[in-house]
Amino acid sequence: MSAAVLVRPAGDGGGPVVAVRPGAHVLRDVPAGPSLAAHRRRTPPPPKLPLADLVARVREVDVRGRGGAGFPFATKLEAAAGAGRRREVVVNLSEGEPVSFKDAALALTRPHLVLDGAVLVARALGSRVVHVVLPGDRPGVAAAVRRAVDERGREDRRTRWRVHRAADRFVAGQAHAVVELMSGRPNLPVTAWQPVALHGYRGRPTLLSNAETFAHVALLAGAGAVAYAGAGTDEEPGTRLLTLDGDGERPTVTEVPHGTPWEDLLTDDALDGPVLVGGYHGTWAAPGALRGLTVSRTAMAAAGLSLGAGVVLPLSPGDCPVHRTAAIVAYLAGQSARRCGPCRHGLPALADAVRATDRGLDVSARAGELAGLVTGRGACAHPDGTARTVTSMLAAYGDEVAAHAGGECGYRRSSLVARSVGRGR
Amino acid sequence: MSTRLRVDWPSCRGRGLCSEVLPELISLDEWGYPVVHDDVPPELLGLAREAARTCPTLALRLVTR
Repeated sequence: MSAAVLVRPAGDGGGPVVAVRPGAHVLRDVPAGPSLAAHRRRTPPPPKLPLADLVARVREVDVRGRGGAGFPFATKLEAAAGAGRRREVVVNLSEGEPVSFKDAALALTRPHLVLDGAVLVARALGSRVVHVVLPGDRPGVAAAVRRAVDERGREDRRTRWRVHRAADRFVAGQAHAVVELMSGRPNLPVTAWQPVALHGYRGRPTLLSNAETFAHVALLAGAGAVAYAGAGTDEEPGTRLLTLDGDGERPTVTEVPHGTPWEDLLTDDALDGPVLVGGYHGTWAAPGALRGLTVSRTAMAAAGLSLGAGVVLPLSPGDCPVHRTAAIVAYLAGQSARRCGPCRHGLPALADAVRATDRGLDVSARAGELAGLVTGRGACAHPDGTARTVTSMLAAYGDEVAAHAGGECGYRRSSLVARSVGRGR
Repeated sequence: MSTRLRVDWPSCRGRGLCSEVLPELISLDEWGYPVVHDDVPPELLGLAREAARTCPTLALRLVTR
């Protein structure tokens, strides 16, 4: 595996310093820098592909949305193409998930691959405007994207760019929340009566996808398309970006072909400990559960796991998955837009139940019940994702939950009773 | 084709009138917000429409798919 390059947002604003491992396709040429000139030395401007050709190529390698939901991009493209004449294209770089850095890494290293993909899609859909949604809490990343968009103006006078800045909030990147932002309303989720691909910005068909998705689409139409499609497995061609987090370590963004064994990516200690896969709306893998599995949507789904937006968070030795889930749910409850009753009331109650479970009260059944109660009952999937993390913790770490109820934490090797008495004094 | 009751959650204020009109399909959670249990069978279509009309914030809709 290649050595990681530290990527630092230049100029004002700062932001995260991300470690990026140069890869074979999306993260190729990372050391050359993010400028348009460097990008064009290897990649010609995007061709004008007829829509049918683009759909066929995207369908052939089954490109899926990389924002977390994994929706087939070809289906989205066809829906938008069939729904009306004036269509909108939106590149979502908001990355509201605090432990995900893959879109930040793309913005800082290969922004023009993302923008090439967007131009390609816009031209196939007959749109002249491309909207770009910047992260609200990573000013250095936002500045890098703005610079890249400015560079495009000199090369391509045909495409018009509209830049929007998302709110600093977990749910800001949700598709309907993004359309609200673009429309000048608060950047919060609203009830979806129709998908944005059919009825989005100004009621127009809106092709909105995650930044990484556009990067993959650009690769499919470029010079390296054959090599790209040959990566991965027959069932799942191509690659995906992962953010490998580790407590106390710098997050590392890496590009891996589908089908890569987890043993190639994580240390033995990490594989045999708790790993949160897919981010804060993710699923907990039980110790050792990733052994024998590969980075594959279908293989992970068969094991009850989901890659989501590609976050992989192994816990350090001594950190407890129950304790960590309590902290995550408390954070997510605070990130509720507080518009939908079941989320506004249910997530704080869920956070209380998980915290109490962590502290040794026998209330995990209440946590499970609340997780079921909030699921499917909101304008967006924030309650569903939060519930998923809790439910997967209860399923994968039932023994540890029982140990907590008995007053012991097996990970931190401490008695919960003594601690809570000590705190009470 | 089935008919479903969908809640516009940001509009719902948990007044609970829908559950009074249609307890067969709608109960209330511990905070007073509706829990829709099932699709609407043909014999309950009339009551389901009434439940949607009764909602003071118009947060309940019948969706056919």
